[in-house]
Amino acid sequence: MGLFTPIFVAFCASLAHSQLDFEFPKNGHTNNWAVLVDTSRFWFNYRHVANVLSIYRSVKRLGIPDSQIILMIADDMACNPRNPRPATVFNNANQHINVYGDDVEVDYRGYEVTVENFVRLLTGRLPPGTPRSKQLLTDEGSNVLIYLTGHGGDGFLKFQDSEEITSQEMADALEQMWQKQRYHEIFFMIDTCQAASMYERFYSPNILAVGSSLVGEDSLSHHVDSSIGVYIIDRYTFFALEFLENVDQHTKKTMGEFLNVCPKRVCISTVGVRRDLFARNPHQVPITDFFGSVRPVEVISNVTLVPLVTNETKTKPVAQPTKKYRYIPPLVNFNSIV
Amino acid sequence: MFLPTLLVLIFSPFGVLTSKPDKFTEELFIKPLYSDQLYVHFHFATKWDTNPEQETFRHTHIFPRALGEIVERYNVQELHVSLTGGLWRYETWGYPILDAAPGAEVWAWFKDTTEDVDQNWKLLASSLSGLLCASLNFIDKANSIRPEYTFKPKGVFSGSNLNSSFVRYSSLPREIVCTENLTPWKKLLPCESKSGLASLLNSGYIHNTRYHSVAIHMRPVCRDSSCEFVSLELQQTVSLVYDYLILGTKNWSFRKLFGQGLMGRCPLAETSTIYIDTTSNTSVPFQLTPSPDDYVTSIRGGHVNTFAKYVVRPYAMSLNANFLGKESVLLNAPPSLHANQYITGYGQERGGIVTKIYNNHWSHLDVVVLQNIPWYVPIYLHTLKIEVNGLEAEPLKIRYIPGRQRERPYHLELLLKLPARSVTSVSVDFDYVFLKWQEYPPDANHGFYIGSAIISANLPLARNFTGLPQDGSTIADSFNASRSGYLVQVRTENMVITLPTPDFSMPYNVICLACTVVALAFGPLHNITTKRLVLTVKDNEKLIVKIKNKIVKVLTDRRGGEEKQSVQ
Amino acid sequence: MAHGKTEKCEQDCYKGGTVLFMYLTGLGIRYWLMFSRYQSIIANHIEISTPLNSWKRVSEGLCLQSKGINPYEGDLLHEAPITILFYKVLTQWWKLDIKTIFLAFDAGTAVVLYFVAKKYMFHLFIEQEENKKQYALNSKEFLLSGSDFVNSPVFVASAFLFNPYTIFNCVGQSTVVFHNFFIALFLFCMLSGSVILSVLSLAICTMMSFYPIVLIIPLFLYSNGIYKSKFRAILTPILFIATLAAFITISIGLSNGTAFMKNVYGFILTVPDLQPNIGLFWYFFTEMFDHFRDLFISSFQINATVLYLIPLSVKFRKDPFLLTFAILCLISVFKSYPCLGDVGFVLSLLPCFIHLFNYSQQGFLVGVIFLITTALGPILWHLWIYSNSANANFYFGVTLAFAIAQIFLVTDILFAYLKREFCLNHGKERKIDGKDALLILE
Repeated sequence: MGLFTPIFVAFCASLAHSQLDFEFPKNGHTNNWAVLVDTSRFWFNYRHVANVLSIYRSVKRLGIPDSQIILMIADDMACNPRNPRPATVFNNANQHINVYGDDVEVDYRGYEVTVENFVRLLTGRLPPGTPRSKQLLTDEGSNVLIYLTGHGGDGFLKFQDSEEITSQEMADALEQMWQKQRYHEIFFMIDTCQAASMYERFYSPNILAVGSSLVGEDSLSHHVDSSIGVYIIDRYTFFALEFLENVDQHTKKTMGEFLNVCPKRVCISTVGVRRDLFARNPHQVPITDFFGSVRPVEVISNVTLVPLVTNETKTKPVAQPTKKYRYIPPLVNFNSIV
Repeated sequence: MFLPTLLVLIFSPFGVLTSKPDKFTEELFIKPLYSDQLYVHFHFATKWDTNPEQETFRHTHIFPRALGEIVERYNVQELHVSLTGGLWRYETWGYPILDAAPGAEVWAWFKDTTEDVDQNWKLLASSLSGLLCASLNFIDKANSIRPEYTFKPKGVFSGSNLNSSFVRYSSLPREIVCTENLTPWKKLLPCESKSGLASLLNSGYIHNTRYHSVAIHMRPVCRDSSCEFVSLELQQTVSLVYDYLILGTKNWSFRKLFGQGLMGRCPLAETSTIYIDTTSNTSVPFQLTPSPDDYVTSIRGGHVNTFAKYVVRPYAMSLNANFLGKESVLLNAPPSLHANQYITGYGQERGGIVTKIYNNHWSHLDVVVLQNIPWYVPIYLHTLKIEVNGLEAEPLKIRYIPGRQRERPYHLELLLKLPARSVTSVSVDFDYVFLKWQEYPPDANHGFYIGSAIISANLPLARNFTGLPQDGSTIADSFNASRSGYLVQVRTENMVITLPTPDFSMPYNVICLACTVVALAFGPLHNITTKRLVLTVKDNEKLIVKIKNKIVKVLTDRRGGEEKQSVQ
Repeated sequence: MAHGKTEKCEQDCYKGGTVLFMYLTGLGIRYWLMFSRYQSIIANHIEISTPLNSWKRVSEGLCLQSKGINPYEGDLLHEAPITILFYKVLTQWWKLDIKTIFLAFDAGTAVVLYFVAKKYMFHLFIEQEENKKQYALNSKEFLLSGSDFVNSPVFVASAFLFNPYTIFNCVGQSTVVFHNFFIALFLFCMLSGSVILSVLSLAICTMMSFYPIVLIIPLFLYSNGIYKSKFRAILTPILFIATLAAFITISIGLSNGTAFMKNVYGFILTVPDLQPNIGLFWYFFTEMFDHFRDLFISSFQINATVLYLIPLSVKFRKDPFLLTFAILCLISVFKSYPCLGDVGFVLSLLPCFIHLFNYSQQGFLVGVIFLITTALGPILWHLWIYSNSANANFYFGVTLAFAIAQIFLVTDILFAYLKREFCLNHGKERKIDGKDALLILE
């Protein structure tokens, strides 16, 4: 508390002081969050883990901190016994980008990746005792990137081959988020078969949605790594990542350009876009509005710091030991039992 | 001359820090195992001279505040967490510095002021899951036990007698351990992985081992020998067992093991040392380059060990070990106590769990066997059979708390006296249970895990023993630390059983079919009880004729319809 | 028995020696199987041992008790404290061989059943003689003959002694053996008009498996018939409730608490253990959606207990024994943890209704289904659990068919009873105004 008070005072002072020569950006967001979900279990779905980790790597590189990324991975590919190179996940047969990296924090993993947990995460209705890293602590100024990958069908997305979320449930969860002022804008990105069916039911404002395939189309994988032995990435994510790899924090690239990634001749499926809920023109939205955490920062000078009235609390005097401490023998005394 | 002066200048602020109430030591311990493995143990110990009973963790210096807050919030006295991949092979590798069961293992003592221990335990596990990115939030009452004899507090204790209602133990044998667990673990270290020995923890290399275990152990310890004051101690360890087969050679170096050299010490560490066990040099000699700063000889429990000691300096170093000449065949006497565990029976109806405990010592050993058997493996106590060298024996004491479905695991603790040079088998039968279809995990046919049994004993000899004494917190404390007994807690293998599964695609069919059978009873009984028998005039038309007429009628109708259509 | 018909009976009836030989053979088979290596195989079959009645669980409970652990703390034991005390007295205090106890009780059941059938036949005979005048003129051939009356008990006893279901039940050491004994005792006491004893044995049965509680209705009807006084008849259920309360109090005292209520009756009613058995519950509630579990459990339990109780009691109030049989039959189909011992017991009562056999239509069908399911059940179980080449659906199909056979059997018998009554009262002619007529329910 002692630390925060002067900053807060300074902040208020600066507000009052600089009202005329500085304006906050209008309609802007204040923070960025990402929810990245892989819903597939089992080794042959390696590519879905690679998909989600590719996006994870990109958003982290573009400035969203780990504390604002919720990463859900339904199975362990990196340390899977079948993985010839433990603690790595590659998205390219050349194995030049280890998307798993040396600094990765998976927030929900394995059996925790369920429809219930996903919807609870989005809507913020979590059980008591849920650690911060498992919460989506967004507010009305948050831009949220939601990326889903897995096996889907017309109107549903399978979770771990045992349950599924329907497009209506998804839409309702987002509406609940909107009503609870849990987002400013959402970029919904999904790479599954019949991906477009997942966002068709959306009815909440400020959502820009893109799916790797239209209803009736399959989403296809990109290529096999013969040493890993399975398909290692899906087409849409592969080209999206290729695009994102050439983006840095100072980029001028826009969401409009991103939506044109992966034309049908390379993707084989048609990338579906839904922009009717989104108020802005995607071509004027910088890509870092969703994939990065870049905010206009104004350096304010000549701020007068109001001296803080501190009521210093003295450190507590060390209590005199009244107890006698001892080590307990680590094992029960057998002689006392017999 | 210039460099040391500069360093003194740079590190002088840290010189001040040593007068602070907390100190941090980092150690690396390397021991070639008698078989073809290399044991590498990172040991980071933080000792904070504060009273853990009054500490609020509002401000911490070296001690990780994230952990401190959790400990304070849930009234934890002592906390032990380990995340392990692979199984420690006691029979060939001897004893590790810290025992850990495969998967995740957590045990904690709560302060005796805790009101709802079960609730605190659940919330503690949930918070730890966020701290370590592990699925520890699956720990709750249904898979936790309160061991009476096995887990005494490791740290100091002030009360008059222990109450086992404040201890909780749970293990998640299925838990995988990977970089995502190591990353947050490293962030708890004062220097994280930016400098010091922790910078060697390169996930791509350390997960390519036979055994890797990440652990956190927090406990209150005596501040000095008089033990009037208490300090808070935190041990963070990483244990690795490299296999020469995977390395491809018996010559190891930092670069081979970790992919990089050491870039100096952690500036916050009071000492930063590397110890290499050279006891085996007499039989399997290896040459260390650069040559060690010092050799340490430790006489402990009648066994002499020598260690090469390196003091890590604030500049880059690497370490190479080259095996010299022909190795002589070495017969290693197996450790005094080891154990294994397996499932008996076939099919998915009835089975048994057998724990075999080997006492290779020349005198008898007193052991405590702890089994934490999940509720979905109901065991029958009356089938418990203890055989010593093939003859039935009685345990000194049994503590058994029967489990309840979906509520509580089966907790079995046995106190046994193992005769000298004996094999003891403890077997108990269980049934396979049938769960509700939504209780099966997504990969239901992978199987269900039964955690390892824990066999604790105080060994009279320190052969193959590397553990720390109870009053020690660093590797250096274990040198020349002869005590009356050396505690080992042998963990056995995890076991997997495949429970019979229902057909997961059938819920609607089953509901319909079963309800149909109920309706088959309801219909006739309804008729019998509500109607009475009467005679009516027989309809001469037979059933077949009736059906035939009906079909004919339908067919003619349709044909008529088609004709109409074709007209239109 | 009917003295006027003794001469005829000389030829058709079985002699005492034959009956004794029959008993000895039945026991011999049981004895041989009991001490053979097949005993454990039989005992391990889920058709025989359910969580509710397996001797393995009783031994576990006795073992826990001897170690000073409350057996109701865990959830393996589902026997009432009072029966646990009973087993404890038998095995630990009197040190009797448990296999001999099972044999003795099964033999006892066979003896009691013989007398049950004898009593019932006597009742039938009396009733027939009393009502003869009211019957239609040409209904003579529907009346029971003397040999029927005399032989029926022998048939009942042999149906119990040589029924593979009851043999397996006894050899498999299922505690249903004791349950059956007390049910048989209840039937005997009821038919002999001893209200107090029948209330006592019914209360014991209720303590053991809860479902027999509904049998208080036929007992009430019976005592109503005997006493001709409403007041004394109403005393019966009151006495029953009092006995039950006393038993529960004793149980609470024996087990130091009410934990057993949850473990025994809670277990029977809420069906938490989904181990397969020959009933309908296990797969249904394995596959049930959690939101609807409570709804379906309550409706299934109502179906097993009170749903048919009142209509059947109204319809068959004149023959409470038939009513008891029907209720026992329905319980053994619809109870939560049925076993072959229950079915076998009900089947061995069947020869009591020898007079209805002429009117039953589905005997062949039911018999064939019983044969097929009895053979297929263990085979498909083995394929599912041991060979992993079948799955739960196969076994479920068999249990469904088995349940259907039992349902057909009970509805057929009840229907036959109605038809016989009709024929006795209206004669065998089925004609209206000279035209052929059909007998239908309206």
